[in-house]
Amino acid sequence: MRTVDIVERIEGEAKLVCTWDDKIITNAQIEFLNFRGFEYILEKKAPLDALIYTPRICGICGQAHLKATVEVLENIYKNLNYEIELTNKAKLLREIGLNIEIIDSHIKWFYMFIMPDITALSSKDFSSYKPLKGEKWLKSSFITSEIIKSLAIIGGQWPHTSYMVPGGVVSDPTLLDLTTMKNYLDSAINFFEDDFAGVCIDDYLSFSKAEDLDKIGKDLKDFIDLCFEHGFDKIGKSYNRHLVLSSTELFKVGKSNKRVINRVDLERIEESCEYTFNIDKNKQSKEAYTWAKNVRYADNFFETGPLSRAVISKRAFISKLHEKFEDSVLTRVMARMDEFVHLLYITKNLISKIDISEESFVKPKISLNEIKNAEAKSVVEASRGSLFHDISIKDGKISKYNVITPTVWNLGPGNKSEPSVAQKAIIGLDSIEKAEITLRSFDICSVCTTH
Amino acid sequence: MADSHDMVKKVFTTNSARVETNKGDAYYDSLFEKAKLRLKALKKQRPLKDIDMMDIVESEGVNRRDFMKWASATTATLMLPPMFTPLVAEATELMNRVPVVWIELQDCAGNSEALLRSSAPTVDDLIFDVLSLEFHETIMAASGHQADAQLEDAIEHFKGKYLLFVEGAIPTAMNGQYGTIGASGETFQEHLERLSKDAAAVVAVGTCATFGGIPAAAPNPTGAVGVMNIVKGKPVINIPACPANPANMVGVVLHYVLTGQIPELDSLLRPKFAFGYRIHDNCERRAHFDAGEFVEEWGDHGAQNNFCLYKVGCKGPMTFNNCSIIRYNEGANWPVGVGRGCIGCSEPDFWDKYAYERPMADANIKAPTGGVEKTVDQFGLGLLTATTIGIGVHAVTSAMVGKKTVHTKDGEE
Repeated sequence: MRTVDIVERIEGEAKLVCTWDDKIITNAQIEFLNFRGFEYILEKKAPLDALIYTPRICGICGQAHLKATVEVLENIYKNLNYEIELTNKAKLLREIGLNIEIIDSHIKWFYMFIMPDITALSSKDFSSYKPLKGEKWLKSSFITSEIIKSLAIIGGQWPHTSYMVPGGVVSDPTLLDLTTMKNYLDSAINFFEDDFAGVCIDDYLSFSKAEDLDKIGKDLKDFIDLCFEHGFDKIGKSYNRHLVLSSTELFKVGKSNKRVINRVDLERIEESCEYTFNIDKNKQSKEAYTWAKNVRYADNFFETGPLSRAVISKRAFISKLHEKFEDSVLTRVMARMDEFVHLLYITKNLISKIDISEESFVKPKISLNEIKNAEAKSVVEASRGSLFHDISIKDGKISKYNVITPTVWNLGPGNKSEPSVAQKAIIGLDSIEKAEITLRSFDICSVCTTH
Repeated sequence: MADSHDMVKKVFTTNSARVETNKGDAYYDSLFEKAKLRLKALKKQRPLKDIDMMDIVESEGVNRRDFMKWASATTATLMLPPMFTPLVAEATELMNRVPVVWIELQDCAGNSEALLRSSAPTVDDLIFDVLSLEFHETIMAASGHQADAQLEDAIEHFKGKYLLFVEGAIPTAMNGQYGTIGASGETFQEHLERLSKDAAAVVAVGTCATFGGIPAAAPNPTGAVGVMNIVKGKPVINIPACPANPANMVGVVLHYVLTGQIPELDSLLRPKFAFGYRIHDNCERRAHFDAGEFVEEWGDHGAQNNFCLYKVGCKGPMTFNNCSIIRYNEGANWPVGVGRGCIGCSEPDFWDKYAYERPMADANIKAPTGGVEKTVDQFGLGLLTATTIGIGVHAVTSAMVGKKTVHTKDGEE
């Protein structure tokens, strides 16, 4: 038997096509059927134009794309041995911007995407989580609007800011701006303590045992209880192989295939199109069913995202949960939530480290339009996982631009011999509701996947 | 000197900068009476949601006075005289009489994201409790087949009455196979045609839905076009920008509630209340332009002192939008505020024409409604000697445009 399910309440739409045998899912196809063609559009454009184009790949993770683009352009300089000076202030403002976007995305994801689905499984009254109406939903919508203002202060607007340029950032915040940003983050910390987890942030950050789960209250406790009630601590398991492509204050680069190795070679990343539509019909495989490509590292499917980041950087609380519950829906969601708390704390500190007397921008010595021939890659940790940009420049114009988004790692199609990460997590489940929630636990972004 | 004078005059008195926004007392008096009747009739209708706006506003700790302040600012946004403020407030309370269906096509959901962060007494109450959002794929409760059913119910039940908001472009190449929706695999074009058939009006939100946006940038691999290329025989309202400003989305709905009509549109179907003047006309850095003070490169002395961004590629002088007044993220900031310059995102084909760093003089572009092009660049360079003329002409032009009257009276600068 085959069923077709539409997965909405994501960015765009996905189709989940399951094959069943005696009430068990034996195969799962995740179809992404919306395509815009960014990689084609970027060809022949001036390199700096990419700073305006790529943030529009996604309305939720535009910062990450902007940062990946600005860094891929700076890496072009580096590969040609032109020194790019980046002040500490510019570096900080970029990381802060990215962190705020991740914080915003995680909170919104919990209330807008996860809770409506998981509360629907329960017969208890969870109307306060009801989209557009429930009091908790409205509160989270309010707080995310507040948090994102702190990004608008340095970015000019959100979504789709373009304040980063090769050589630094264009913005020059005043002390008042920085204080205002911190105030917005403080209101998010209050939200975390009073409404989200019911525990003081310092206590939370000291959690180091799986049993600390019991100390969590409020909305996150509702999730945890529902998770255990419906067995989500045991399902959603995939390869349990993890990959993080880039380091920040909170994240460490590395891969984990049973043990953690803090080294990754970008040359070993490989994209394939076995099941992917092609804009050129002649090049399209007969078995194509989605616009998503698949990507593997060293010939293996790897998961990427908050759980992978927590595992690779060995954050205590999530590592313990991971030991006990492996890569289940519970651990994956908890890792995402744990991440925003850590980011709130770290980002506030990063703001304090800004020296406003430093320069925001140091002009690169030559223009990208003068570059004859060069290539570069860049990596950024986005809300949903590792983002990879790869550019070639010829005669001052972009000749090739390749983007691999986190959702391609997790939700792309498998290959002949193996299912992809999300497919593997879904195969073997016994209900479509469990399959959908498992799929959601990866934080699906349809528009990013196909770009 | 004389040349500069002519240039200044040309730049600031060209038709592009002179959209008639003040229509005179007779017009406003008649509109006022009409709106009163309209609201009276609406009030008699059963609300789609049984919610009292003021109960919610007050329960959230926003008092009547704050709400009226918001109504006054919104009246200014709609370019209506202050006497409309009480009617706008009343219309806000009656927004739940107008059903809205929101669909997403070839998009990035950026406009939905912007709407979620809309400015209002509190966003949630105003937009989500009062506005009767009957369907929105990303933020509604239902998903999957249940969502499909909800959409069909909404368009059947509100036949001829709903406002259809469209986010995203429509791919037309390869028979529309670059974008399909739902279990049936309906193409975006078929979906849009079907849903617009029984809509009262179609509102294209964001530059993708209005002009094809980024998917339509060269070489337009998917044959993307905007809503107005597909929907015929229906009023279409374009709210471009990337993302569109939520204040303008709310403005269009309010105008519809208030008058029963779509707002007055320009030749590109953009509401004049939002796109009747250029960013440049109300820019906070405008004084520096007039004084010939420019940022020459990011991070320089000019950048640190918030000088004009024209020479680092700002497209404000030829971009029609109200973001220099409304700003983004509940007024927190806007691109020019951080020193980046306007990219012209509310103009057709801006992706291809208004490239990032290219100063406009070298960009070989022409503003859709006539514009400044090369003149301003030369003018800017020669301006240090012509400062006083610039200021003089600007003052005269502002008076002619008449827009200042509306805004200063409302205290909404």
